[in-house]
Amino acid sequence: MTGAGIARDLSLRGLSVLLLEKGDWGAGTSGSSTWMIHGGPRYLEFDWDTTRRSSEDAGFIVTIARHMVYRVAFLLPILPHDRNNIERMETAMEVYDRFQPLKKSNPHVRLTADEARQAEPGLTSDLVGAVTLEEWGVDPHRLVFANVQDAMANGARAMNHTRVIELLRDGANVIGVRYRAADGSLSEARAKVVVNAAGPWVPEVSRMAGANVQLRPAKGIHIVYPHRISNFGLSAETVDGRDVLMVSHGGFTLLGTTDDDFYGDLDSVDVHGDEVDYLLQAFERIFPAIRNYRPVRTTTGVRPTLFKWRRYEDELSRRYQVIDHSADGAEGFITIAGGKLSMYRLMAEETSDAVCRKLGHQAPCTTAVRPLPGSESELEPAAELGQRFGIPALAAIKLQSRHGSRAGDVLDKSDAGRIVCRCEPLTESELAYAARHEQVRTLADAFRRVGIAAGPCAGAACVMRSAEIIGRQLGWSASQRFDAVREFVQGSWLGRAPVLGHSGWAQEELAQGALRGLH
Amino acid sequence: MGRADSLAKLAWAYGLHLTRRRLTRPKSQLPALIEMYKPNGIRPLTPTERELHPRLIGCINCGLCALAAGRLGKTRLPDLASSYMRLYARLADASSDLEGGDEADLEAASAACPVGLPLADVAAVVRRLAAG
Repeated sequence: MTGAGIARDLSLRGLSVLLLEKGDWGAGTSGSSTWMIHGGPRYLEFDWDTTRRSSEDAGFIVTIARHMVYRVAFLLPILPHDRNNIERMETAMEVYDRFQPLKKSNPHVRLTADEARQAEPGLTSDLVGAVTLEEWGVDPHRLVFANVQDAMANGARAMNHTRVIELLRDGANVIGVRYRAADGSLSEARAKVVVNAAGPWVPEVSRMAGANVQLRPAKGIHIVYPHRISNFGLSAETVDGRDVLMVSHGGFTLLGTTDDDFYGDLDSVDVHGDEVDYLLQAFERIFPAIRNYRPVRTTTGVRPTLFKWRRYEDELSRRYQVIDHSADGAEGFITIAGGKLSMYRLMAEETSDAVCRKLGHQAPCTTAVRPLPGSESELEPAAELGQRFGIPALAAIKLQSRHGSRAGDVLDKSDAGRIVCRCEPLTESELAYAARHEQVRTLADAFRRVGIAAGPCAGAACVMRSAEIIGRQLGWSASQRFDAVREFVQGSWLGRAPVLGHSGWAQEELAQGALRGLH
Repeated sequence: MGRADSLAKLAWAYGLHLTRRRLTRPKSQLPALIEMYKPNGIRPLTPTERELHPRLIGCINCGLCALAAGRLGKTRLPDLASSYMRLYARLADASSDLEGGDEADLEAASAACPVGLPLADVAAVVRRLAAG
């Protein structure tokens, strides 16, 4: 996320920019977040400044990305033996209300136990009361790509599935990178400044310059349900006293997250059954029916938290640091480490300021006020858009949540309004557009960009057809399409296996039948 | 220093909060909450809908109900269960999809469903939420 934000910021300041992403846009930490732009009420216990800065930047983000953000109203239920009683919890929300206007959010309300159960009848009867909290939801994959898209519109080059394998040196100066592109070809690019915005991979890239940046990576998992379980977000206390969230986004629900020190391979992070049980145990206390719902998969990622000794993971600051490596003998090399999604724009601004200082380039940052692509103008009513292109209003709503005021352009460029993924719902023309214009190179990229296979059937009904549509745009042969589907099915199984059980097996049987021969 | 300062400010706010609670008579804030989020489609399910909900969203998108009973309004029955029921916060903006067209035989559709989805209940909830 931060790399995309920096590329956008610097290209808007008139600099020549090359952005390289080793995986796909938003496939790392950003994509496996809780999908929230928030101020961070829990930081009030540690550091009000982080809450203020985060709220302020969230306010900018929800303005420049207005077509892709939506309000998330949380109920914070209080049970008799919770760590915080209702008075302490309401005090925290009263304090947080001072920051809410910065991000254009509403203040809290307090509910009795009966009122809370009217708002969400699924809450346990063993309830003292509840307070509410408002944050913003966003699809981080689209947020990342909107930044990439705007950077490219302003002259940047941006390549996904392209891995930096070496930094080029001229004595003490870092003068560029050597990289391997998606097709396997090796290339070099020269630059006056190289920025390392690799998230949890920051130490690995820093080592290429002989610099040492120490992080304390923390693993987090989410359980994904393919439906809105509740219109309200919910919080619950875990067995070890942490707060975890259940948040509905569009048509699915995220339940998480864990927060554990991680020492393994960043490119292969597994989800374990006990992590799933830990989250379910917490939510079962406040929402007893949670085990009646069928999860469809899990997500996992690693937070690039700044290093600190003698702190529990949950207490680690979400602050960030812009590091100029001149003192490490790597002139022209800058690292941005730490931080969080909600502050990506600010992190990008401060990193871009550091780059401009190095270059002696004087141009102000405009990313706080300039709308991202699709947020430039008001949205057409979804029913009218749908009628104009012969698609259901619900499909038009989903299209607008990704493309905003540019939704009509996506459909204009194709004559097909047919639905390819009925769960989402997603049109064939949008998928073809994503392959042509949005750097979709695999089915997993399409999942991130337009949400194929994100619904209850986990792709059983749409991945074969999707491979045909993408393949037609990218010139895939029949065997390449087959391989693309197999790779996707095998990859998504890894996230699905930890939560399969009960009714999930009926779905799995159907998927296996539909995709027979791929395994 | 940052943490001590934060905790001191929270302690002060806590004192103020307790004093305010003693001096004011609380009144129900639920109507304000419902009104606040109505434009965003954030509305409670009824207790009956909540109880049924895990079954209402059990669709595995096999398509057998479409063979049995076709459409509700302009909407195919599998879509009703797999996408409209999923996106229920946005149904008010998509109510036109459910108007006109056919009146499906929902009992026949439910009978054909391999996971026993109560499609008549699904249709009732979707219509209630789409009505705004």
